[in-house]
Amino acid sequence: MTEIAARMSGAWRLWALVPIVALVAMVSLFATTGGSLIDLLGRTPPPADAFDVRRVEFKPGEIKVRVTNPQPEDLTIAVVTVDDAIVPFSIDGDQTLERLRSSTIVIPYAWVADEPILIGITSSSGIETTHEVAAAVETSEPSAKGFLGFGLVGLFVGVIPVALGLLWLPSLRRARPEWLAAFMALTAGLLAFLALEALSEAFALQAALPSALGGAGIVLLGVVVSYLTLTYLSHKLAALATLVAIGIGLHNFGEGLAIGTSFAFGELALGTFLIIGFMVHNVTEGLGIATATTEERRASYARLGLLVLIAGGPTILGTWTGGYVRSDALGVVFFAAAAGAAFEVVVEVGRWLRTRAPGGLTSGWVLGGFLGGVTIMYVTGLLAG
Amino acid sequence: MAKFSRKKLLGAVVPLVAAGPLARVAFAETDRSATHEGHDQTHAPVGHAAMIGGEAPSIERNPAIDALLTPPPALPHEPGRVRDYTLVARDHDIEVAQGVTFPAWTYNGTAPGPVIRATEDDILRVRFVNEGEHPHTIHFHGIHPANMDGVFEIIPKGGEFTYEFPARPWGMQLYHCHSTPLKKHVHKGLYGAFIIDPPKPRKPAQELVMVLNGFDTDGDGSNNFYGANGPAFYYARYPIRVSRSQTVRIYVANLTEFDLINSFHLHGDFFRYYRTGRDEVVDYTDTIMLCQGERGIIEIDFHNTGKFMFHAHQSEFTELGWMGFFDVVE
Repeated sequence: MTEIAARMSGAWRLWALVPIVALVAMVSLFATTGGSLIDLLGRTPPPADAFDVRRVEFKPGEIKVRVTNPQPEDLTIAVVTVDDAIVPFSIDGDQTLERLRSSTIVIPYAWVADEPILIGITSSSGIETTHEVAAAVETSEPSAKGFLGFGLVGLFVGVIPVALGLLWLPSLRRARPEWLAAFMALTAGLLAFLALEALSEAFALQAALPSALGGAGIVLLGVVVSYLTLTYLSHKLAALATLVAIGIGLHNFGEGLAIGTSFAFGELALGTFLIIGFMVHNVTEGLGIATATTEERRASYARLGLLVLIAGGPTILGTWTGGYVRSDALGVVFFAAAAGAAFEVVVEVGRWLRTRAPGGLTSGWVLGGFLGGVTIMYVTGLLAG
Repeated sequence: MAKFSRKKLLGAVVPLVAAGPLARVAFAETDRSATHEGHDQTHAPVGHAAMIGGEAPSIERNPAIDALLTPPPALPHEPGRVRDYTLVARDHDIEVAQGVTFPAWTYNGTAPGPVIRATEDDILRVRFVNEGEHPHTIHFHGIHPANMDGVFEIIPKGGEFTYEFPARPWGMQLYHCHSTPLKKHVHKGLYGAFIIDPPKPRKPAQELVMVLNGFDTDGDGSNNFYGANGPAFYYARYPIRVSRSQTVRIYVANLTEFDLINSFHLHGDFFRYYRTGRDEVVDYTDTIMLCQGERGIIEIDFHNTGKFMFHAHQSEFTELGWMGFFDVVE
């Protein structure tokens, strides 16, 4: 490379900055004079002045409502109603909220347990935001007992089923290659099912988020980040069984999050049947990990324990998180990540099947196994409500 | 997270029975802590105790609102005397509840508008100026010529019209805008009380006017706030002082939009009610029901001193602002 060429390449590198500098200039120009441009278009409509109700807590003799301002303009809390009656209240935080700022409204109120309740927050412009709670249930405080309770729920629906599923490992090791391929395809089927479920949950939660947090793209971001991370891991270090466990673990974190949140806010009747439903549903996840583990000549008990922890442990973390922190944004991120991870593992398993399954990807064993996996997940999913 | 709100599972016979008993112990524990009843009431004042005086969530004291409570004095019967009033329609932001602004349409800046009072056979001459953005009128209830009815002569923005007719019949009347859409023009605030005194004067009394109204601040076709003479909880925050030794006469009119009826209920005493303010006592009661546009005169001779509540007997209206207190002194 000649000296001139080198200098040229340096200049081009500088030139790449020009659009950015020009953009900054244009933005500042518009920010200072843009008002007149908007005027050419006529009047803009007034702001919606609706609050975003983030969280409602019921304490003895008290209701706490966390609200956020989702719009660019300031929003002032003026009047609060409970069941269409104006009530006295105090505010922990600012009464006038700037964009994305939050305050907690504290209402002294003798609420009736297990009955529906309608909270209304009227802005200074008279627009009322209503939020219905299906049943008023006292919000759980972080206590040792509650912590243990949530932990045990996670243990029963996450860890134990996966461990039980792993007990199929000795039988799978003795299985004929056709059967092993079928079970591997079954694993792919169940992961595909989990991926779709997680994706749908992520979209549902995302739709309820304030628009200021962005659109459906946040789901794609979560999916892509986790998919690419797992792709990277799969080519660097991790064994197939570990990948399957990670995919399932991320899904189980989301599941735990949903269980904990719903339970803490009285939206979930966590009956024995529901728990059993989750357990049966999740035993198949253990089967999937066991199938992938047949790849490894010998798997020590420590290794198996680690797989159980990776796949099932997140359920416990999820129930704790969901039980004490209500964040739909967190839910979106984890369900999206779970979807991405599960999709990636489906691809990995597909690769395995293509090279290792007798008859390849189109054999009846593989097709039947995949179909079986999806079917089993659907049917046992009915048990989990 | 709606996914888990679905309930009831068809009982399936499942393996893993061993985990059952342990699970039940764990969930029973969590269950109990989450359905604890929340009834203790030890903190800030609640109920009506939190809705009187400084605790009541109303607006700052407003002389324009205060002026609506007391009607101009009655004049003796003098046929042909001219009574001049000027009403200006104005788009005006008013505070209808603590911290809540409503873009009202008003006569003279308040909703309800000023009290118009005449004695029967007075010539009522009301100059109406429309400074609002929309066409308006004034439609008086009473007996008058067809061209003074506020229906056909729509006064455009910037326009002006003088209504002139003899005041009759005596009783409690009202006025409101009759432009279309009617519902919008009424609920935005264009209405008020119109008293026509009888030729034979009524007995002296402490006279009050209460125009019952509501405000739909978010435009969903139902009222967010209720009150008498405007703002929610105004007379809860500033109780009306009256004396026990003299009759209290209230000229009451219902101009609530959207809700078919409103009512007036007095605590701790009874009153005489004259429908449309005519002579015949309709009732001796503590509760009257008023249709939209219905009005009358209430006369109370208080038996006791102290604070007595008055409010709509529609609990919803009460708790959305239509309540207050009489502070009865000797």
